Amino acid sequence: MAGTAERMASNQKQVAISEFFEKNKHFLGFDSLPRSLITAVKEAVDNSLDACEEARILPEIKIQITKLDSNKDIIELKSEDNGPGIPKKSIEKVFGQLLFGSRFHAIRQSRGQQGIGITGVVMYCQLTTGRKTHVRSKIATETSAAIVDIGLDTRKNKATKSGEGRELWELPDGTLKEHGLEITARMKAKYQRGRQSVYQYLRMTSIVNPHADITFVDPDGESHHWPRVTERLPRKVESIKPHPHGIHLGTLQRMCTESTDSRMTVFLRNNFSGVSSRAAKELLAAAEIEEKAKPKLLKADHYRALLEAFQGERMLNDKPVKLLNPPTNCLSPIEELLIKKGLSKTIDSRYVTTMTRAPTVTQGNPYQVEVGLIFGDGMAADKPVEVLRFANRVPLMYQQGGCLLTKAIESVDWRQYGLDQAGGRGVPKGPAAILVHLASTNVQFTSEAKEALADNAEVIDEVRKALLEMGRGLRKHLEKKKKMAKTQEKFELVNDIIPAIAAKAASILDRPVPNLSGSITRIMGAVIAEPTTAWNKETKQTDVSITLFNYTTRARSYTLLASWPERDGATMVNNEQGGRKEATGVWAWKLDTLEPGQTITFTYSLTGLERGDWTDTDIFYRGSQEVIGASKMDEKLLEEIRRQEAATTGEDEVSQDEEVEAAPEAVSENNAEVPAKTGQQTLMGFGGDE
Amino acid sequence: MMSAMHTSEETKTALHAVVEEMYDKIVKGEPPTMTLPVRTKNNIGFDDKLGVYKYGKKRSIRDATSLGSAKQLLRALHVVEFIEEMIDAGKSSTLREMYYISEAWGLGKFSSQNESNNLAEDLEVVTKCMREDFKLRPEEDGARMIGNLTLRERNRRGEWMRINARDDVGDSGYGVPYNVEEEKIELLEHDINFIMAIETGGMFDRLIENGFDEAYKCGLLHLKGQPARSTRRILKRMSEEWDLPVVVFLDGDPWSFRIFASIAYGAIKTAHISEYLATPSATYLGITADDIEAYDLPSDDLSSRDEDALKAELSDPRFADPWWQEQINMMLELGKKAEQQSLAKYGLDFVTDTYLPEKLADLGLA
Repeated sequence: MAGTAERMASNQKQVAISEFFEKNKHFLGFDSLPRSLITAVKEAVDNSLDACEEARILPEIKIQITKLDSNKDIIELKSEDNGPGIPKKSIEKVFGQLLFGSRFHAIRQSRGQQGIGITGVVMYCQLTTGRKTHVRSKIATETSAAIVDIGLDTRKNKATKSGEGRELWELPDGTLKEHGLEITARMKAKYQRGRQSVYQYLRMTSIVNPHADITFVDPDGESHHWPRVTERLPRKVESIKPHPHGIHLGTLQRMCTESTDSRMTVFLRNNFSGVSSRAAKELLAAAEIEEKAKPKLLKADHYRALLEAFQGERMLNDKPVKLLNPPTNCLSPIEELLIKKGLSKTIDSRYVTTMTRAPTVTQGNPYQVEVGLIFGDGMAADKPVEVLRFANRVPLMYQQGGCLLTKAIESVDWRQYGLDQAGGRGVPKGPAAILVHLASTNVQFTSEAKEALADNAEVIDEVRKALLEMGRGLRKHLEKKKKMAKTQEKFELVNDIIPAIAAKAASILDRPVPNLSGSITRIMGAVIAEPTTAWNKETKQTDVSITLFNYTTRARSYTLLASWPERDGATMVNNEQGGRKEATGVWAWKLDTLEPGQTITFTYSLTGLERGDWTDTDIFYRGSQEVIGASKMDEKLLEEIRRQEAATTGEDEVSQDEEVEAAPEAVSENNAEVPAKTGQQTLMGFGGDE
Repeated sequence: MMSAMHTSEETKTALHAVVEEMYDKIVKGEPPTMTLPVRTKNNIGFDDKLGVYKYGKKRSIRDATSLGSAKQLLRALHVVEFIEEMIDAGKSSTLREMYYISEAWGLGKFSSQNESNNLAEDLEVVTKCMREDFKLRPEEDGARMIGNLTLRERNRRGEWMRINARDDVGDSGYGVPYNVEEEKIELLEHDINFIMAIETGGMFDRLIENGFDEAYKCGLLHLKGQPARSTRRILKRMSEEWDLPVVVFLDGDPWSFRIFASIAYGAIKTAHISEYLATPSATYLGITADDIEAYDLPSDDLSSRDEDALKAELSDPRFADPWWQEQINMMLELGKKAEQQSLAKYGLDFVTDTYLPEKLADLGLA
């Protein structure tokens, strides 16, 4: 009889945990067969990326999906990484215990703010196929890999193991795997294509993890590879203490009761960021709590009073207590250049622009916004742009409409930046993809499903600002493209069509082909600059060539200036024309007089760059006659850049050129007009924003 | 002046003048150009001597300062060369064939057939030659004709064939070839009192079935909508050479008014050869705007495109006379249009027993 009772009790418990899973599967990410597969991949990939990041290893991740029985939707997921591996004794904790790990309490930017971890996958597999999950783990200090099949004892919330052992982990090339983890999980799931697919998830993951090398073998056996585009690992993120603005009553209470600090002033200073000892005293005064009170012995009223003081509701001398902002070095943005590389890696297109805003704080939580935009061929021009949303480097794939990031995109009138948008609202249409990344120590979601970011006026405004700035870049690009197309047309006209007309007319009339120079000068009537920027595979350099054509009837003379990525560590070589540095990233050449019909070409190369780093050289000129294909140099802006440089380097190392005559008053007057930038003034600002 | 044709040498000389204009401009150090009359309703005027509408003095200069017009000039040169080759080889080609041949012209190739058609017309206008001189044939087939009239046509073997358009043809009538000039067709004799040009095939067949051509001793000509050049040309020749009245029986809508204008006064697009194509003596029989009311015809509401077309016609010099102004304004007021075949409301014979006899009686033709 006792046996029956025990069995019943255990059944009850088992039912309870399965039920918990069943009831909450929508926010655990297992509510549909396609989504279950994505969630499983996500948990595995997140674990791999986090482990590699912590061990400072450049991740190599391989995901393989095999359909075992398509009638019953049984799928095998194999995930392999080159991370540090998990010591044998920890495997069962990581895989066999729900809510294992410190993720839920640390205040820092981490991927694992979503999902319940890989244990959820183990459980899902067990519930849907009755199979254990096979784990193979190799750590660097051991010769062989540990293998084990892990299941979940739903009664005890503990791992069940079988098939434990060790084996040599041989790689296809015959060598032994140094370290890494491999998971083979069998589950009921469905593989789908499209916007919500494993493929899309991995593609998005690779965009925001440019340091990762990801391979995906789909059920058809087709292999997709997203190569690593940078050797630089993301910055190691620091944990920070909570800021008083972002704390909840329950957390405050728990912190107090668990505290061993002797007095409240010490407690506040030690456990919160942004609280100086002056601020600690003022907070306590406002909350009417004694400075030397023991945190452990605080009463319920005290918690509330303290919280109100935190939030500025209880004031001191009619003023809220001033707190410092929390430190923002706990954030790890992807950074502009890397987003650029990530985007161009997965979408083969021409124009990419990115923007990383400076970190800032909302409700006591540091956060940082990054946006990217890719525009051009290969994407549908009549469909809504692709929206790529990320929170702490994790792709958000569901609930696009309800997400703050989408709303920010929708609130921008994209028509002024060259995209179609009905009524100036909503997701714009055009051959483009827009990326938005929010990095924060505390990402606020709309629901437990953690697929959409909750509204926050400050954050939305920050995202908007980033998008607007990016939009201006797009508009300038499109204008430039239009101009270039026009110039290109003129070139085709005088280089191809006019000679063809002359030749054909001469042959019909049986007369000599006439000289064309007069006609061509009359047709062009302009000076034209044609820059080309191209990657040289052999020399691994970026070759730049600038040609200036004088298609006017008069001699012309110019100083030509070009932008170059000096800030990104490039060096200019083979610059036979000489010239001089005008400012950081701006080189200038004084050219000889260009006679009518004359052409001058000069070239240089850039080293220290990778392919795709620099694809477009902006040309500026000083001189009276307009140059098509170049912009008139904005001397005031140039002066402003020099001034900023002087300020940042401390020493004025820029040669003050006598040619530039910007009166001091003009400069200071101009200060107000220069748009406030978050970073340094860059060449993006050139060429007239109006 | 019965023939519009030029000799091969005349044609070549005229074409060379176009090429010379471009060549000389280049020699002078200027962008090459092609000068041609403006081909809109703002540049057509009535030619008292010819009795038709012709292009006025407005000229537009197409110069090679933009990529688009430079390509046009290059294409024109290719077309000139192509025409010369055809003249020398004794061949001809359709406009569509020329469009495909242009595939081999590199930078000078056409991007649409419309472009090649327009350019052929441009060259006609500039050289005052006709496309027959250029050995270019239209795609469209000519119209059909029935009635007791006799002509002879030279067939492919060069033999003359005598054809009576009542006795020697089937129900579909005599098919008008694309070339109706004298070297191809001679008008011999007839026993008819007038010629009636009809817009739709349905009405043409109705009149034949009802024996209207015999009962009223007339020739029937099916226009097939906007009539092809050869249709207009043969109508003109019959009218002039046989001194026959021409009546035009069309739908009652703004587009039919334009068809009539192109028959009687000359089309805007072909105003350079109006004197060869237009039949100034032609009379508009119906459907008129007042017919819609008088016969209480089933009608459709005017669309906004119809209304715009009518309004444009009010300022078209070809419709400047009071009768047309009244008709156009009346149709605008009614807001209605009616098809020829709406007459069937009163039975299949109504058109031949009642409507046409009444309308023809007004003109003294029945």
